[in-house]
Amino acid sequence: MTLKSLSLLLVATALVTGRGLAQQDGAESQVPPEWAGIVNIDVSVLFPDYREPWNAGQPSGGSGTGFLIGKNRFLTNAHVVSNATRILIRTTDDPKPHPAKIVHIAHDCDLALIEAENPAPFEKMTPVDFGGIPRLNTEVIAIGYPIGGDRMSVTRGVVSRIDFRPYSHTSVDSHLCIQVDAAINPGNSGGPVMQDGKVVGVAFQGFSGRVAQNVGYMIPVPVIKRFLKDIEDGRYDHYVDLAVSDFPVENPAQHKALGLGDDGVGVMIGDVEPAGSVGGLLKPGDVILAIDGNPVLNNGLVRIEGDLVNMNEIVERKFAGDTIQLSYQRDGKKETASVKLKRFDPYVRLGSQYNQRPRYLVYAGLVFQPLDRNLQDAHQIRDASVNYVFERYLTDKLYVERPEPVVLTSILPDQVNTWLTPYAQSLVDEINGVPIKTLDDVKTALAKKDKPFIEIRLHEKNRPLILKRDLADAAHPRIMQTYNIQEDSYLGND
Amino acid sequence: MPRFPHLLLTLLTPALCLAQDAPKPVKPTTEVEHKVQQRRRVLVKPAAAAPEATQTRSLLKVNVTAQPYDLHLPWQKQSPINSRGLGVVLEGNRVLVTAQLVADANYIEIEQPDGGQKLAAKVIAVDYEANLALLESSINAEKEKAFFASLQPMGIDTSARIGDAVAVWQTGRVGELIKTPLTISKILTRRYVVEGSGFLVYETTGIIRSEANSFTLPVIKGGKLAGLLLSYDSKNQVTTILPAPIIEHFLKDFADGAYEGFPGLGMEFQVTLDEQLREYLGMKPDSPGVLVSAVVKGASAEKAGLKKGDILLAINGHTIDARGDYQDPQYGPLSTSHIVRGKAYVGDDFELKIIRDGAEQVLKGKLIRKNPDDYLVTPYRFDKGPPYILMGGLLFQELSRPYLDSFGEQQTENSALLRLSHIARHPDDLEEAGRKKLVFLANVLPTPSAQGYDQLGGIVVNKVNGRTIAQLRDLDAAFKDLKGATHVIELDDFPHVLYLDAAAVEQDNQRLQSGAYRISGLKRLE
Repeated sequence: MTLKSLSLLLVATALVTGRGLAQQDGAESQVPPEWAGIVNIDVSVLFPDYREPWNAGQPSGGSGTGFLIGKNRFLTNAHVVSNATRILIRTTDDPKPHPAKIVHIAHDCDLALIEAENPAPFEKMTPVDFGGIPRLNTEVIAIGYPIGGDRMSVTRGVVSRIDFRPYSHTSVDSHLCIQVDAAINPGNSGGPVMQDGKVVGVAFQGFSGRVAQNVGYMIPVPVIKRFLKDIEDGRYDHYVDLAVSDFPVENPAQHKALGLGDDGVGVMIGDVEPAGSVGGLLKPGDVILAIDGNPVLNNGLVRIEGDLVNMNEIVERKFAGDTIQLSYQRDGKKETASVKLKRFDPYVRLGSQYNQRPRYLVYAGLVFQPLDRNLQDAHQIRDASVNYVFERYLTDKLYVERPEPVVLTSILPDQVNTWLTPYAQSLVDEINGVPIKTLDDVKTALAKKDKPFIEIRLHEKNRPLILKRDLADAAHPRIMQTYNIQEDSYLGND
Repeated sequence: MPRFPHLLLTLLTPALCLAQDAPKPVKPTTEVEHKVQQRRRVLVKPAAAAPEATQTRSLLKVNVTAQPYDLHLPWQKQSPINSRGLGVVLEGNRVLVTAQLVADANYIEIEQPDGGQKLAAKVIAVDYEANLALLESSINAEKEKAFFASLQPMGIDTSARIGDAVAVWQTGRVGELIKTPLTISKILTRRYVVEGSGFLVYETTGIIRSEANSFTLPVIKGGKLAGLLLSYDSKNQVTTILPAPIIEHFLKDFADGAYEGFPGLGMEFQVTLDEQLREYLGMKPDSPGVLVSAVVKGASAEKAGLKKGDILLAINGHTIDARGDYQDPQYGPLSTSHIVRGKAYVGDDFELKIIRDGAEQVLKGKLIRKNPDDYLVTPYRFDKGPPYILMGGLLFQELSRPYLDSFGEQQTENSALLRLSHIARHPDDLEEAGRKKLVFLANVLPTPSAQGYDQLGGIVVNKVNGRTIAQLRDLDAAFKDLKGATHVIELDDFPHVLYLDAAAVEQDNQRLQSGAYRISGLKRLE
């Protein structure tokens, strides 16, 4: 070791054990050592552009909180690190930024696991332990880096409510959710909420003071533990779903007609998704009696660990490929079935999605994009037929025919397409006789060169859009150049 | 249902009146104008300091109290609304007004503008699509004779063209005539009030000095009726006028005792200005014609054999250009709809020249009018209450356009309404499946027999007690035909099936009539 590197080492050691030196001086740090692993996560993001999907997007930034749960493993919220181009970890006493990257991210429960590129600075920190579900009216503290300052903050409150709530990150996923009245502010996201020295939740959302006061939410331990178990095999496999809608049995005539007993057991199925785990097995009018031996009551609740919870809670704790035993009744007859659980894919596009490049295809100025929540939010589409397909996608089972509905979102004006511009924001049914069920079909359909015209049929629009093939082909490179579009498509198949 | 605005009149200031009526040294050029000049000389003192207005014996004030039904609580009516308008005296002691004025009327009276005498009146003819109605006195013949003795019927002038001068007539506090001169700047076709009501209109620019919500003001040309005011856009100062040709058609149709209404072809077309589209359709660069994009089931064009995809070249010999206009001898380029909607009568023969599969063809047929009751989703309904059945708390109705419109913006947000709106746009599939009207569960009143169902609403009904429901009568029969103790209602959407205890329903029906809701009738089938 040269003299130079020796001095570097000495300096480095001093920085890491800065606290140690300070203690030697007699002063005590504000932050207890067991909280050393609660870190500030500084993120630079790039919001994708769904209006001009060939552009890279809008740079922005933000920060939240994360905490050490294992060897170089920090837990935080998915929404803290979504769409990130750079993630930096800063500890409370050390101003040095540590680059980090995502190991696993679960958008459907707003959790993410990140690791530092260089694990060394964190080796001496102790990870936190997890507790259980705290009881109502017991005290908790939320630790993190919210607005109002740069250093670690602690706020205190009680457990206000334990419920099944939508997680706003996607807005279409609901899970167990614990409400606390400890102040949870922007920046607290991803931080630990602790009771008796153990983590009982990850702070993640709340209401603005204008809407409700002192209402903050944390992701409870069962959801966290499920996430950590799911990723044990190296891959996040998502939540699974029965994909049914239950209809409580409150009406006496309904109760009698369904042939239910006096024990208060049995909830009616009001709707079944054909693409879900019980599609093809159950139908509306069936009654679910028990799941894995847990009797389901007339209002759809089951008793788990002494508490009455939504029956979804049972499936909430299962993993892709798990089976459950279903006991149900049809036309008065009792049946049982073993159901293999899977994720219900069609609902994903109805929620916000992250960490993906917008898929699109441009041809002769016509821009085709898949219909999903991100597109709806960016374009504010007014077209009645597009909105109908989006809003009724699940209820009317439109996903069966359209696994990926395609919208002609905009038409970049040029001489070749000037008569077509009123037809922007329309759903595409068919191109050149090819039914359009996914965005890839658009590419296939446009590649068909057997006719001199390109014929596009839009949903509920009574006129086909016609482009003369040779004129369109000639106009295409001109339009690409004029509108500054580098790639004429991104289908995401890489 | 859109509530028609109140009709309010304000007095024009006398000074303004004078400015408009000051005698000018103009030689009368026609007999009609001569008469007008004569009248002026009689009634207005030349160079008088105090202005005097002319009277009219051809206009009457019409006061209406209307009370539409509540679309959501269809056994009751909304609050009464008072409207005031003007009517035009026609031959035979009749008064012409717009249909908007008398829709859902409880009480109509005609009033002499100067003397103030009033007489109760009734509607003897009404066309809600053409927005016209004819009134007659409903009291005894003697009173009617006395009332109309001093009145003068007005003639009708259908000759107006672009550039002609017309005047809107109004009456003041003591019946004095107030005129606003206007010039016809455009003649085109436009939707009147209800869905599917596209007809000829005159458009003028200029300020009408009255409240913005003034309706049924007569528009006069040379002392004769040239139209009725349809609407006035005060921001852009554009007046839209229901023109005399449409009024004449309405009166002629009524005259033979059987009013049949205005026929329609029942088709939708797309303009063909796009050269690439034209080439694709095989149209030559200069050829006329539009692309038929939709053909209404059961209407005239469908019966004559017109199909979607045909290129329509001419109607009754009038060539249709790529924009969908034809050359009208009186009005110039005008939307083709006027050929049938304005000029023809139900029962007339018609001829369509089309191109299909590259070859020219002529289709012939007789014009019919599709009745609003023949549409799956009723386009409009006045004077009669909405059909419904109330069964122990469950309210079933037939879908109508006014019902959907009553939700306004929510139509684009609410899931159930989106579904119903979608169906309203695609009636063909359901009509083909046998449905005559769209019966749906509209709402649920909180009754014991409907326990657990209160949050439901806006769901289409498929079957009840095993019977397929094509219209409300089927629902009535299905409930009556119950053999067991439980009604089974199958719905098109979550939760797909509802059960009702028949005995509990009967009890609730009693309570609904005598209890807090005091519902007068549990059903209305017509």
